[in-house]
Amino acid sequence: MIRIEGLTKEYAGNAVVRDVSMEIEAATITVIVGTSGSGKSTFLRMINRLVEPTKGVVEIDGTDTREMKAYELRRRIGYAIQDHGLFPHWTVARNIATVPKLLGWDRKKIDARVHELLELLQLDPDEIAPRYPHQLSGGQAQRVGVARALAARPDMLLMDEPFGALDPVIRAKAQTDLKSIQDRLGSTILLVTHDMAEAIRLGDRIAVMSEGRVEQLAPPAEILTHPASDNVRNLVGDDDRPFRYLSLIPVSERTEEGTAEGTPIAADRSLYDALAEMIWSGREVLPVVGEDGSARGLVRRGALLDAARSVA
Amino acid sequence: MSRPFVFLLRLALVALVLAFLFVPEAFRPLLEPFAPVGAPAIYDRASLLDLTISHLLIVVAAIVPATLISVALAILVSRPIGAEFLPLSRAIVNIGQTFPPVAVLALAVPVVGFGTWPTLIALFLYGLLPIFENTLAGLTGLQPAVAEAAKGTGMTGRQRLFQVELPLALPVILEGVRISLVIALSTATIGSTVAAKGLGEVIIAGLNSNNLAFVLQGGLLTGALAVILYDGLGEISRMTAARS
Ligand SMILES: Nc1ncnc2c1ncn2[C@@H]1O[C@H](COP(=O)(O)OP(=O)(O)O)[C@@H](O)[C@H]1O
Ligand SMILES: [Mg+2]
Repeated sequence: MIRIEGLTKEYAGNAVVRDVSMEIEAATITVIVGTSGSGKSTFLRMINRLVEPTKGVVEIDGTDTREMKAYELRRRIGYAIQDHGLFPHWTVARNIATVPKLLGWDRKKIDARVHELLELLQLDPDEIAPRYPHQLSGGQAQRVGVARALAARPDMLLMDEPFGALDPVIRAKAQTDLKSIQDRLGSTILLVTHDMAEAIRLGDRIAVMSEGRVEQLAPPAEILTHPASDNVRNLVGDDDRPFRYLSLIPVSERTEEGTAEGTPIAADRSLYDALAEMIWSGREVLPVVGEDGSARGLVRRGALLDAARSVA
Repeated sequence: MSRPFVFLLRLALVALVLAFLFVPEAFRPLLEPFAPVGAPAIYDRASLLDLTISHLLIVVAAIVPATLISVALAILVSRPIGAEFLPLSRAIVNIGQTFPPVAVLALAVPVVGFGTWPTLIALFLYGLLPIFENTLAGLTGLQPAVAEAAKGTGMTGRQRLFQVELPLALPVILEGVRISLVIALSTATIGSTVAAKGLGEVIIAGLNSNNLAFVLQGGLLTGALAVILYDGLGEISRMTAARS
């Protein structure tokens, strides 16, 4: 668990992060969202002490981070950034091995870990491991950056706009993959983005930052249904709120008894996906199936619109 | 130009220089037209091979310490604790460049006497600036994301320097060494005016006795050596840069 209290950073007397306090549960994703310049990166970088706080405390599992050497702290915390920052003179394998090498793991253990991580991130180890960063696509480089951050099994992962440089299609896949990796590994993730849609898709909780302050810290549904300030409301985008809300709810929550015709939708997809399918195929009712393809019932357009209206 | 052609050209140049150094007599018919009647066409007061070796040794003896000191200085001033010394270091390193080489020789002779030393000092001073500036540019020109990653992964300052900053700056540093070497190679010829042993001796003898053949062989040899060194080091620096 991470406890942050009264965290403040001033540059030349100018506060860019002001008195931020929060507690972050282990094995959750907290997304920091806000406009550019709102202090998100500065906040994140104070946690691994790339920026030294002017005031305030960061405690990880009860230990004040100031009691550790900064480089030792950083080896315990995975860090992934927008332009991935892969070392251009090292192969992918050597890049991923960075922190394990610093920690003095033996060679065999490192090789096995690199192999395991490349597979976890759906990169073919034999093909990708010997490559240099300039021989990777943007999406591959981003995944190698995440693999490097995960290499030494850190309890915690800091990610600063990790998907910022990806095109929309690869970006959506990277988000889904991150979520499933986090499910599997149980990592505690603190992720910064300026994209509210991304925050809603990934976050267990969202912290909305504005001018260095956290204006609201809440689960996505609450951010959508009860925005705490105009800033938060603007960031969500009033017009988009019903759609964002639908994207949070799985089809299974509005599934009714019965049978329907046509291509079915999976129960774990979102109501947003169901609505899109209804619009495209001109249907009012979709059959719902489980993961194994078995019939679960149906979902109606009316139920779906009711759900969307509940945000207003 | 195609790679094989460039390679052949290099090989031919090296072969030509070696042939001239080991069997200069074979080139007599070519040089004879440039020598005054009755005067020797091939320099005969010392072996051209010995002079070339001595010329190269002086250059290396000046550039190796110049490289070590410049790189060390650039590392120092690119660290946070050394940043204050940047202007001072720049000034010191620049002094070598603002004095004309002849002036350095003239100033050095009364202090260290005639011979190899004044030339070594001049070449050393001339070698500092390009290497210092290039090393500094290489160390400070690191991509911000790479610098951030090096810190963020938990490298210590020393680990960042040796594992990331220096390896990535290497091509630029080598480029500086290459420039300094070539400058030193040509500047070393004037060392012969203060009795340093080198190819300048041949040129000066030619000028004194109006023997164009001497001037040509001294000048062309120096030029050919410069081209070979410049080209060879360029190849090495390209190899180190290929990945970054
Ligand atoms: N080292 C620094 N010195 C002075 N000002 C800084 C420094 N780092 C960030 N800032 C300022 O702090 C504010 C917040 O920056 P940042 O945390 O990068 O915002 P965000 O990541 O939300 O875009 C900006 O106005 C930025 O100019
Ligand atoms: Mg930022």
